[in-house]
Amino acid sequence: MNMATPEIDAEPARGRLAALLAYRPQRSALLPSIGIAAGLLIAAAGVFHRAPPDRGTVPAGYAALVNQKGILTSDLIAQSVAELGKPFADVTSAERARVLHEMIDEELLVQRALVLDLPETTTEVREAMTGGVNAQVAAPLLAEQPTDEQLRAYYDAHRAKYTADGSMNVRDLVLHIGGYENADQSMAQARIDATEAVYQLRSGAAADYVMEHFGFSDSGRMKFGNEPDFAAKLHLGPTLYPAATRLTEGQVSDPVADTDGLHVLIMQQRRMPTIADFAAARSAVYADYREDVAKAAQRENVKILRGQAQIILAPGESE
Amino acid sequence: MASLRLNWKLIAGALVLLGAAAFAADRARDHQAWERRLLIALPDQVVADPQLVRFAIAEARPLYARHCAACHGADMRGNPALGAPSLSDSAWLYGSGTVYDIERTLLYGVRSGRSRSHNITDMPAFGLTGRLSDGDIRSVVQYVLQLSGDNYDPTAANEGRRVFYGAANCSDCHGMDARGDSGYGAPDLTRNVWNSGSSAQDLFRAIYFGEHRVMPAWRGVLPLEQIRALAVYVYWASHPTPAQAANTYAQSMITPGGAAQKQ
Repeated sequence: MNMATPEIDAEPARGRLAALLAYRPQRSALLPSIGIAAGLLIAAAGVFHRAPPDRGTVPAGYAALVNQKGILTSDLIAQSVAELGKPFADVTSAERARVLHEMIDEELLVQRALVLDLPETTTEVREAMTGGVNAQVAAPLLAEQPTDEQLRAYYDAHRAKYTADGSMNVRDLVLHIGGYENADQSMAQARIDATEAVYQLRSGAAADYVMEHFGFSDSGRMKFGNEPDFAAKLHLGPTLYPAATRLTEGQVSDPVADTDGLHVLIMQQRRMPTIADFAAARSAVYADYREDVAKAAQRENVKILRGQAQIILAPGESE
Repeated sequence: MASLRLNWKLIAGALVLLGAAAFAADRARDHQAWERRLLIALPDQVVADPQLVRFAIAEARPLYARHCAACHGADMRGNPALGAPSLSDSAWLYGSGTVYDIERTLLYGVRSGRSRSHNITDMPAFGLTGRLSDGDIRSVVQYVLQLSGDNYDPTAANEGRRVFYGAANCSDCHGMDARGDSGYGAPDLTRNVWNSGSSAQDLFRAIYFGEHRVMPAWRGVLPLEQIRALAVYVYWASHPTPAQAANTYAQSMITPGGAAQKQ
């Protein structure tokens, strides 16, 4: 068997070999370059890499770390001085340690309060927090003092605030219409009787006589006698009180219809409300003005917070 | 061969960059070490270390320009229009001017709305609230001018003295000797150092409208090391000579009465 040797075309093989040989120097430079670059990168990373904070080390400026929350050395000094009432230089290390111990205890309780979500559940905590924020918001605006003109304008706009309540002692007679006492009486008849009663009272007839003669009784609304205006308003109600405020001492009102019948009011004693003049009210006006400035700042702050917040109301809810 | 040369150039460039970066990182580490040193020392001990004081001053200068100069002035001499006190003299509204005192004021401010700030009291608006008449205030002004060694009207000053020591008036806070109380920010009226101007008109305004100046709290706004550096800087500005500085340091060593704000 004649095994013929296959003919090989040596030219392409030679060409590939030459190309390979020609490539060698490049590969020999590239690989070390990659290696060096990687080394440089690792070195650079090493240079710029910040070591993770050592959880066992207290940062400079702090006296202690409590669950990673710092207690400032400055606060420790202030607390020591306040508690012990002497210069910090005279505070012994034992005293300093005791104060720090107390501060750590306090910090632990504050942290516990947050864990327990006290702001969510405890009114006093919420009030303290909202009050703290409000105080900070108002502080810069309160640095500005008002002028006399601003105070005067405020007083003029809020005169009701500087009005002292008056008082009244009113006898309130009522003529019930229908019912047990005046079963047969119509509204028209009651009006005639009441008008006549008012006429007689204004002519000097005694209230007891008029009551007996026309069938009036005491309404019982002003049973405490002389009452401040706010109390009289509460007891007389929205229909009778305005009629009472129009009376001066000794005057008798026209008949006034209310839900329980026709009323006649006899003003026995009246002290009118007094408005404090600006000079007398200055101090209160000043305090109120500043309070309003603070409130305006707080409202503005809440407006900003609302603008930044995502507030979603449940179906059916509104605010 | 050309590509080989290029690669070596790249490597050399990278090495230079790495060297520069390493140098910068070293400087940053050095800077951090100084900051740490500044904070580790108790506030008033910093002034005993001249190197540390130099570092703090270099750190604080740009901070002061950025955060403080708007009120206290680029020259640290204050601004009477704002009631911002001079930081370059030796009169202090709160505390005695130690680094600690100054730092407390920087940390928590004055009437900043934080309970740790200096907010025990403020100067009432005696005229605005009607507590004193204009005439009484003019008399008190003359008495205050007398106290501070300025020109005054003796008759009015005599009347002003009566008002000054009247119930719930000036002496309650400024003291029977009118030297004030730095525990709660009542200034010494005998030094002729004023926050809001020194003329009779300025003093009238201060008494009539009161003083309710505010300084913000910087804790949480600036890092602690920057607050410490600023405290040292203000201390340095108000204690220009080493002897003066040493004297204040020795006298105070953190006394009760809170932090410092210049009057």
